[in-house]
Amino acid sequence: MIELRNVSFAYEKNQPTLKHISLKLGEDNENIVGIIGPNGSGKSTLFLNLVGMLKPSDGEIVVDGSPIKYGKHALNELRKKIGIVFQNSDQQIFYSIVQDDIAFALHNLNLPQEEIDQRVDRVLKELDIEAIRNKPIQYLSGGQKKRVAIAGILVLRSEWLLLDEPTAGLDPDGKRRMLDLMKRLVANGQKIIVSSHDMDFMYEICDHFFILNDGQIVKSGRKKDVFLDEQLLQDCKLEQPWLVKIHQKLHLPLYADQTDLFHQQASELKGGEPK
Amino acid sequence: MLVIDKYAYTNRIVAWSPKTKGIVWLLCMVIAFQPIVWLKGILIVAVAVDTIYVTKVSVRRYLRWFYVILPFLLLSVIGIVFTMTPIKDQLYLPIHLFGNYFGVSKAMLPKGLLLAVQVLAAVVSTYWFALTTPFRQILDLLVSLHLSNLIIEETMLMYRFIFIFIDSFEEIHRAQKLRFGYRNVRTSLHSLSILVKMLFEQIMINYEAMTHALDAKLYDGEFTIGKSRMEK
Repeated sequence: MIELRNVSFAYEKNQPTLKHISLKLGEDNENIVGIIGPNGSGKSTLFLNLVGMLKPSDGEIVVDGSPIKYGKHALNELRKKIGIVFQNSDQQIFYSIVQDDIAFALHNLNLPQEEIDQRVDRVLKELDIEAIRNKPIQYLSGGQKKRVAIAGILVLRSEWLLLDEPTAGLDPDGKRRMLDLMKRLVANGQKIIVSSHDMDFMYEICDHFFILNDGQIVKSGRKKDVFLDEQLLQDCKLEQPWLVKIHQKLHLPLYADQTDLFHQQASELKGGEPK
Repeated sequence: MLVIDKYAYTNRIVAWSPKTKGIVWLLCMVIAFQPIVWLKGILIVAVAVDTIYVTKVSVRRYLRWFYVILPFLLLSVIGIVFTMTPIKDQLYLPIHLFGNYFGVSKAMLPKGLLLAVQVLAAVVSTYWFALTTPFRQILDLLVSLHLSNLIIEETMLMYRFIFIFIDSFEEIHRAQKLRFGYRNVRTSLHSLSILVKMLFEQIMINYEAMTHALDAKLYDGEFTIGKSRMEK
């Protein structure tokens, strides 16, 4: 459980990027938490605070009951518990060959070689990138690089995984794979916090939401709580997911995801009873 | 993107052990610098033909890669063979200049040509090695030679980041060219100075982002590089 207690953060004095944020992450049945907000709303800053790379100028962050300590050893322990994948893959891949890069964090932990090999193999298989394990990074596509970047953190087997804008720059296929990957990870017990302004993606994958605007949480809740207020979303420079739009404008039921919609509608067309 | 790098991964002998390739390269270097000249000539032709065969590169493209080293080679040879002397007989094609003679030195010409052949043989051999050995194999070779970790680390990081650097350079350059930044010498100089400034700024920004990423991966000051694992 991660808890923010009245957290504020400012890069420059008197210009706070985060303003008095209090929230709890990781309550029951909240496996993928979404932080939604427009550009410049403070999503990335919030993430950097969560992993102790930035220190709140006010308030405190409590992980599993104890406030974050900012000594080197304590931070390393924190980052074993909370892994973070940044938006730009090129800035977090350091080795020239895929499998070397994925093993990087494990070498830093001084794990025995067999354990490193075994964890790397497993992650390569999980992310479906075994075929490119010996490839040089510069020949990978954007989506592949993204998966290598995620793999490099997943090997840590941290309880939490923070994904900053995971779909930025991905093509539809890349997005679909990201969606599948996140679902699979959650099925294996991974807890994920994801930030994005890709509304349809977030609507489909997350089960709890926080809407961040201008450094403040303006709304939080589950699917049906946060997306119905069109005006609020517009004020935050966001828009409603298309499934919510057809719910409100065409008075269809509120479907949880596309498959749900198509499944229901198809059975209706066949003459079955609508739900 | 460096095209030259692609051949290293797709050539006919990519699966050879890096040690074998290293030994072949060393042998070529010995032949390049031993005293028998005709052996060097054979080496140049043989290795060049072999390079073109195993990498399936076109002859034209292969020859074009020599443009990079040609200016250096020519300048050094010219510097060695041309000379000034008061004695006309020491020179081929003497030209009377300021009371002295200027021309090609009879004594230095063979030495200059020998140097040219030697350098060419060494370069042809090194191209062969670079074009047939993927980078991971070069790292393996360095590791098995027990070179210091610092050198291997540096080599690895350079290979990783040179591509990002070239990409950034090309992106900025293309954007400038599209807006007529390189129309004449004046604008070219101006654009070039902006390009250098932007690259520098990007380095600072990337540095910060990479520090965060290194922290997330619990970096402790060392990049471990072991031998590569074979695919199962």
